[in-house]
Amino acid sequence: MSAKIVLGRVALYALLSAVTFLVCFPLVWAFFTSVKPKEEIFRWPPTLWPESWTLENYRALLEGKQAYFQAGAAAASGPPPSAFFLDWFLNSVIVTLGTTAISTIVSTLAAYSLTRFRFPGQRAVPYLALVGYMVPSIIFVFPMFLVMADLRLTDTLFSLILGYVCITLPFCMWLMWAFFRGVPIEIEEAALVDGASRLRVFWEIVLPTAWPGIIAAAIFTLIVSWNDYLFGRVFMNSMENLPLTVGVMHFFDGTHVDWGLMMASSVMMTVPMAVLFMLLQKHLVAGFGAGAVKG
Amino acid sequence: MDVRLEGLSKSFGSNQVLKSLDLTFPERRFVTLLGPSGCGKTTLLRMIAGLEKATEGAIWFGGRRVDHLSPGERNIAMVFQSYALYPTMDVAANIGYGLKVRGMAKPERAEKVGIVAKVLEIAHLLARKPKALSGGQRQRVALGRAMVRKPDIFLMDEPLSNLDAKLRTTMRGELRRFHLDLQTTSIYVTHDQLEAMTMSDLVAVMDAGVVQQFGTPEEVYDRPANLFVAGFIGSPPMNFAEVELGAEGGRPVLRLAGTALPAPDHFDLAGAPSRLVLGIRPQDVSVAEPGAEGAVPGTVWMTELIGSERLIEVEIAPKLRFTAEVKSSVRCALNAPATLRLDPGRIHLFDAATGQSLARRDALRG
Repeated sequence: MSAKIVLGRVALYALLSAVTFLVCFPLVWAFFTSVKPKEEIFRWPPTLWPESWTLENYRALLEGKQAYFQAGAAAASGPPPSAFFLDWFLNSVIVTLGTTAISTIVSTLAAYSLTRFRFPGQRAVPYLALVGYMVPSIIFVFPMFLVMADLRLTDTLFSLILGYVCITLPFCMWLMWAFFRGVPIEIEEAALVDGASRLRVFWEIVLPTAWPGIIAAAIFTLIVSWNDYLFGRVFMNSMENLPLTVGVMHFFDGTHVDWGLMMASSVMMTVPMAVLFMLLQKHLVAGFGAGAVKG
Repeated sequence: MDVRLEGLSKSFGSNQVLKSLDLTFPERRFVTLLGPSGCGKTTLLRMIAGLEKATEGAIWFGGRRVDHLSPGERNIAMVFQSYALYPTMDVAANIGYGLKVRGMAKPERAEKVGIVAKVLEIAHLLARKPKALSGGQRQRVALGRAMVRKPDIFLMDEPLSNLDAKLRTTMRGELRRFHLDLQTTSIYVTHDQLEAMTMSDLVAVMDAGVVQQFGTPEEVYDRPANLFVAGFIGSPPMNFAEVELGAEGGRPVLRLAGTALPAPDHFDLAGAPSRLVLGIRPQDVSVAEPGAEGAVPGTVWMTELIGSERLIEVEIAPKLRFTAEVKSSVRCALNAPATLRLDPGRIHLFDAATGQSLARRDALRG
């Protein structure tokens, strides 16, 4: 190996290490902050590695509601925000899974028909859908709020699911449309000649081939609906109906910020997405269909 | 089972790609649809398969009208140009899919797949996915998928066009052999005349949505029905020149580049127009001694060695060149005078206006 190549490699690894550090540092910092006692969080100069470890913040989030009712404090000043953490978490899970299921299924079926059936405007629809996606959500959110209010859906998880489907569906459809265009139609024709019905062809031939595209669309929807703040902030108002992103904002107000709870919440919000991504990313491998057709 | 087409037409919008075809593919024969790109041959095959709907006309398989049936109900098998293997299934599942759809039990399916795989010499590949196969292996899997169901009709859409030249030659022989063994009516689409000539019992030469000629490979080669077929079949292509029909000493002659050639007697020249097109294959042109009877003088324009033969291109009139295919031992210098002799028994004549052959039926030497 020549010196030039070695130098190139060293430079590359240095750059990659720097980028990795930039990406990982906030996560590492959040995790360490979440396991520090309050006094240590505010100590100056700050410590990266906790001098003493505590799971107090996690306990407050996971057992907050139970502790509040056991203490019999309900009548006094109302439950603290941490008592709602599990509700928020469950809300986010329901909304995210609901949105992902609807967006993925509808976009897959829509994109398939856009690539396989001839009708006027067949080529224009995917591009128009993409243009819709380019408009910022803030422009949609208030008209949508009025619609939800008319439908008496505000402050329901279903309103959030509908809102997220509206913003994720166009891109998912475009993604799946681009994907299906790359799936050779001869594969389906071969299955039709083999005697399969159209539905069976879709189920047994098209879907397994389209799996990486479906996973990509699902990951996109998961991330958007799990991380969204705007729709949750506008559509929801009851403490127990909030999604996680809006709920954790109650850990600080004008006078006080509870960094320990904020960071513990952040870690618990990040972990499910990270695990899911790690599980699914192997399905995203490109070139899955190579060899199916000529070449 | 024979396949009969009755007044079959197909249009895409205002573009008519098949024009009222009437054609019968006889039972157990290997019939090739041969023609240039865009002539409608693949569309016709897809209509027989049920993948395209006919605009007009009917398709019969034996005594059963099938044009309203879905592909799966026609009991056909098709080999696609791109192989169209199912990418997520292994070879065994690919071959056995048609049997699975028909509800055959797994052990029986595995047995049938095994038999076909053995015949095609791909038994060792059954657990592999298509992407792990070479082009030739994929081709065999596609064939296996077609063979395993014992279909009434085999349809093949340029199945060899993605293989390299050597493999194509091997597979050509194998396909022919499979056909002889299975004796299933087969319809094969290609633009490669060599494939059509070597593999087929019958060839349908198509152009512009019309069957120009339907006959045995010998018939379309030796007795082309019109100028298109004459020019399309044969390599190197047939030489063409406009000639004038006249008479000398009471006998009809063809005036070609200042030379009067006696008109061969296998033509129906009574009432023929005076403007004709003469065609002759390079294999039927030889280099002759100057002054020989019926010889056409000219100048050597180019020579090409093509193995055991040599092509000699001779300019017999300004911008009119004839090619002769001769033994490689025959040598000619560029720009040297040369005289060509056209085998009178192998001359073709066509009406210059309609392009139709003037040959009397069964008159040309086979």
